[in-house]
Amino acid sequence: MSPQGETKIPAKRQLVTKPSRTADKVFFGLTSVAANFSIVLILLILGFLLYQAWPAFQSQGFSFFSGETWDSSATPQIFQIGPMLWGSVLVALLGMVIALPLAISLAYFIEFMAAKKIAAVATTLVDLLAAIPSIVIGLWGFAVFGPVAQHWASLLHDYLGWIPYVFYHEGANYGGSPFIAGLVVSVMIVPIITSVTREIFSQMDRDVVNASIALGAGRAATFRKVILPTASGGIVGGALLGLGRALGETIAIFFVLNLVFHINFFQVINGEGGTVASMIVSKFGEADASERSALMASGIVLFVLTLLISALSSYIVKKAQPWRTN
Amino acid sequence: MTATQVQTSTMKPTNPWAKRNKARTRDVVIASLLPGILAVVFFFVGTALGATIDPAVLLIIGFLPAQLLAAFLVGRKYYGRHGREDALLIVVTIFLSTFVMVLLLSVLWSVISAGALALRPSFILQNSHYISGTTSLEYGGAGHAILGTVMAVAITTILTVPLGFGIAVYLTETGGKARGVIRTLIQAMSGLPSVVSGLFIYSILVLQGWQPSGFTGSLALLPLMLPTVSRVSEEALRLVPVDLRNGALALGSPTWQAFAKVVFPAARSGLLTAVLLGVARIVGETAPLVLTTTYNNDTNLNPFNGPMAMLPTFIFGYIRNMYDTSIQRGWGGCLVIMILVGVLFVGARVANRKKK
Repeated sequence: MSPQGETKIPAKRQLVTKPSRTADKVFFGLTSVAANFSIVLILLILGFLLYQAWPAFQSQGFSFFSGETWDSSATPQIFQIGPMLWGSVLVALLGMVIALPLAISLAYFIEFMAAKKIAAVATTLVDLLAAIPSIVIGLWGFAVFGPVAQHWASLLHDYLGWIPYVFYHEGANYGGSPFIAGLVVSVMIVPIITSVTREIFSQMDRDVVNASIALGAGRAATFRKVILPTASGGIVGGALLGLGRALGETIAIFFVLNLVFHINFFQVINGEGGTVASMIVSKFGEADASERSALMASGIVLFVLTLLISALSSYIVKKAQPWRTN
Repeated sequence: MTATQVQTSTMKPTNPWAKRNKARTRDVVIASLLPGILAVVFFFVGTALGATIDPAVLLIIGFLPAQLLAAFLVGRKYYGRHGREDALLIVVTIFLSTFVMVLLLSVLWSVISAGALALRPSFILQNSHYISGTTSLEYGGAGHAILGTVMAVAITTILTVPLGFGIAVYLTETGGKARGVIRTLIQAMSGLPSVVSGLFIYSILVLQGWQPSGFTGSLALLPLMLPTVSRVSEEALRLVPVDLRNGALALGSPTWQAFAKVVFPAARSGLLTAVLLGVARIVGETAPLVLTTTYNNDTNLNPFNGPMAMLPTFIFGYIRNMYDTSIQRGWGGCLVIMILVGVLFVGARVANRKKK
């Protein structure tokens, strides 16, 4: 560099990968075909479902979303999924509300409390729980856990029944309520929320935690003032991810929830409910062409709902991990 | 805030290096054990005296408050103000974590104990020809469904793995322009409800005149397996150091060779994990199969033609029968699925461990 005269700084070159030979071009081409296939697949799913669902949307109008009747033998046929739509949301929310504290404490236990070996065992068990297929959870929920949960529901009714509306229950049978479905769903989403939360916890700057302890804060204060605020984005994202899974959960709910076409707002231990996904499975076998169209329409509503939630959750999780590049 | 309102407090050093206080250790042990012992004794003595004591009520109204109180008192005595908060945190954390573990063990135990009753050689080897919901468990089995699941999952795997790896390579190696979009879409696809995947294949194939067969079922599993494979293999490729890649490129190798000869061998175990986890994800998937395949009591060795039974539809059908013996068959099928999942899971762990 000479002291006089201006040194010319060349513009920074942009580094790009580019295929250089034929074999390379094929390689690049194949990968982009695979990548574009995922776009095509999503578009095909949306397109074909919408195409098949269109007659139902057209004939039912907006009351498809809000009405409470599903009658394929009436003329004209009436297909309305209001109770199912609300039921999906109610069961998923219940499941998330139950699963969230369980998942956070499990993640905290694994990351900050347990000895290394116990933490490793617990992590393996949680991953195993995530791998259990929903039909197994469904059979368990129906045959083993169901009676226990019904008993819990009866206790809730006995001890908290004075609270109006929420713990209302009719008759002696406590089966098939949103409460039980929520519990079963929470068993399925606990591992999802736990693994997201645990990952956020483990990526957290340990120096910050140690500094808090060095300043004299105890476990509880560190958890409340340091760990939770730092990890809150990730926890919310994980919870939304779990909510999305809970909305799409089908078979397990099919076995434990009564399908009733009547909106059950918050009577969680009353045996009335149903979710969009479980309704699709139970109605699909005997449906005629126009009812199938209505089921496709419910499917697309469910898909769009989960798409929105998963987009939101991935956005939040990404924001919660600013250290992660590309 | 004025100066007079500021409270100054001298912090008491906690002296983590101090010798363990024997009285403290004793009190902590007592506080952690006593409420549990008392609850158990109370339960058994009460039951022996003829009272009906509900374990759930005892746990929530008796044991948990007692345990919280004991921990609170000991924490306050030895660690002061934050001692009592910490004690509550510890009790709640362990209580909730134990609850999850109890649920998990309950699932595993009921599958194993109930499934073992149905599991016998004939259950694996025979099909369900001549079998109704009330036939004794000595006859018939899930052999046809196991074969069906293996074939359908194999087809899905053959179709999905190249796609999933391709997407992962696109995201990490070849630096495609649409990486952000693709990653978002894969994320969205991983939230795709399984029943919607079944509806999609039904509308695009079955309504267009294809007969439901094993193949339609395995196509319905594809959108569910793809995100798992591509995301896990993306993570595996990402773990390969950039320097290795750049080294290969700097030596003049084209990108495909850098991938095939340097990155791929380095990430092989991770990619294997991706495949195994993907298979584990779909092996028990039921809802799409219920919509896109038809059940068959007989063995069908041709996944492209005719109805074919698979384990999930086998279990689903028998549970819906609601007879005791058919539910037993369902448990047997669940045990077989759980064994498959367990083998895949252990395989993924072993493959992943080699890397470290």
